[in-house]
Amino acid sequence: MEYIEMKSICKTYISGFFAKRKTVALRGVNLSIRKGEIFGLLGPNGAGKTTLLNILISQLLSDSGELWIDERNYTMEFPMFFKKKINMCSGNPNFPWCMTAQEILRFYSLLYGLRFSDCRMSVEKSIKMFELEKYADTRFDELSTGIKQRLALAKSLLNSPEILLLDEPTIGLDPAASIKIRELIKDIRRERNITIVLTTHYMREAEELCDRAAFIKNGRIFAVGTRLELQNLTRRNNLEEVFIELANN
Amino acid sequence: MNWRIIKIYAFMYRNYIFARRNIFAFFEIIFWPAVGIVSVGLMGSFLDVGSKTLSFLLTGAIFSGILQVTQLDVSYGLLYDVWSKSLKQTFLAPVDHYDYIIGSWIFGIIRGAIVFVMLAFFSRWAFDFFLPPFLIVFISLAGVVLSALIIGMSVNFFVLFFGQRIDVVAWSFSILVMLLCGIYYPVSFLPDFFIVMASFIPLTYFLEYFRTGYGFSPEFSFLVVKGFLLSLVYIFLLFYLLQFAYDRARKNGLILRLSE
Repeated sequence: MEYIEMKSICKTYISGFFAKRKTVALRGVNLSIRKGEIFGLLGPNGAGKTTLLNILISQLLSDSGELWIDERNYTMEFPMFFKKKINMCSGNPNFPWCMTAQEILRFYSLLYGLRFSDCRMSVEKSIKMFELEKYADTRFDELSTGIKQRLALAKSLLNSPEILLLDEPTIGLDPAASIKIRELIKDIRRERNITIVLTTHYMREAEELCDRAAFIKNGRIFAVGTRLELQNLTRRNNLEEVFIELANN
Repeated sequence: MNWRIIKIYAFMYRNYIFARRNIFAFFEIIFWPAVGIVSVGLMGSFLDVGSKTLSFLLTGAIFSGILQVTQLDVSYGLLYDVWSKSLKQTFLAPVDHYDYIIGSWIFGIIRGAIVFVMLAFFSRWAFDFFLPPFLIVFISLAGVVLSALIIGMSVNFFVLFFGQRIDVVAWSFSILVMLLCGIYYPVSFLPDFFIVMASFIPLTYFLEYFRTGYGFSPEFSFLVVKGFLLSLVYIFLLFYLLQFAYDRARKNGLILRLSE
């Protein structure tokens, strides 16, 4: 069994109070993710990528199927000790609007149970690592999109997670900010041997960062493999062409 | 230090930052309670109701101020995250309902204490209002902050169950409770059906108990015991309901909708 195993995961959203509308998001997803790899989840808008990540962090319950992490079944609930080992960074992040970058990091450090002295050290280290010194005392609602993203990434590492989920971490960023974020992700991978699950629409980003990737469409996994395996499967030259090929067929 | 205490402190810290940076928090502890006590005090003086009845009315205004401020902080424990769209980030961390409820409640008690001291001193200076013996004040205030905890937890339950569209209950639910439990009038003045309803509200007993300090005879018996027992039952029930609403929100995707 691999480090993260998702077996036959199904999810349907039901909306509307009187007239119930059903939207099928995942249709029996099976996925295995190895320990220490960067795994990409690729697919068009509405394919089910974010739904899958939210099931992985237990903020969304699947209708059926099983989620196994490190050979333990966490389908219904993460125990507290396991929540300490996982974190997530989303594109367009949201944090308490009137707290400064430093206060946000301090708040979340405390939520992860860091003692006061450890908390101070951890916040200082994060601010330095993500070059947030200039913005440490700036309120969240006054930060630019790129800085918010760096802050979100800093927050996601406060608990030294064993599993890090990155949901479109460079969405809406200019090229310079995107490159910066990608460099930071590479640094994180180099310095800490953590398992990263990444969703992205940017195929170059996936090529640059991911060891393996899965292509998801209409809630189903169509293909899984390394970049070369995916290219060979579709007889295409790069992931962008693979994406177009799989998305259209 | 105990891990749970650190997490409770985290929510106190967050509520403190919000209270310091937002003008509405300042209005909550100064403006609205002051307006309430001045209005009620002046109205009582104008109607020449006598010192005993004026104490009855001012008690209502003081308790209303403490209750509202404290319950708002408990409600903010969840609502700050809902308004910031950061609910998912908070629940992703190893926290449970106990942490944000108790952390916000403790900070609410501090703000409620400020309101109490301010209103008690002002009422004494402006309307010759004197507090009853210390024990009665202490027990009644403990009851009021427990009632605030129950109201705040109920608001959080409604938000986790129905979503952000219901956040108006944070301000309206406490008013409804105060109306039922006889905040400015004896419970006996209510129609029979509402007296029965009032008997299920812990605040009714704590208000009556406080007023016994001014010589008013209560409608109910065993005020303190009934007040605290009912409070404990509601608090246990609400922790269960909050977990139920949270699990339901994880199932129907409400947690994610509240974070987008």
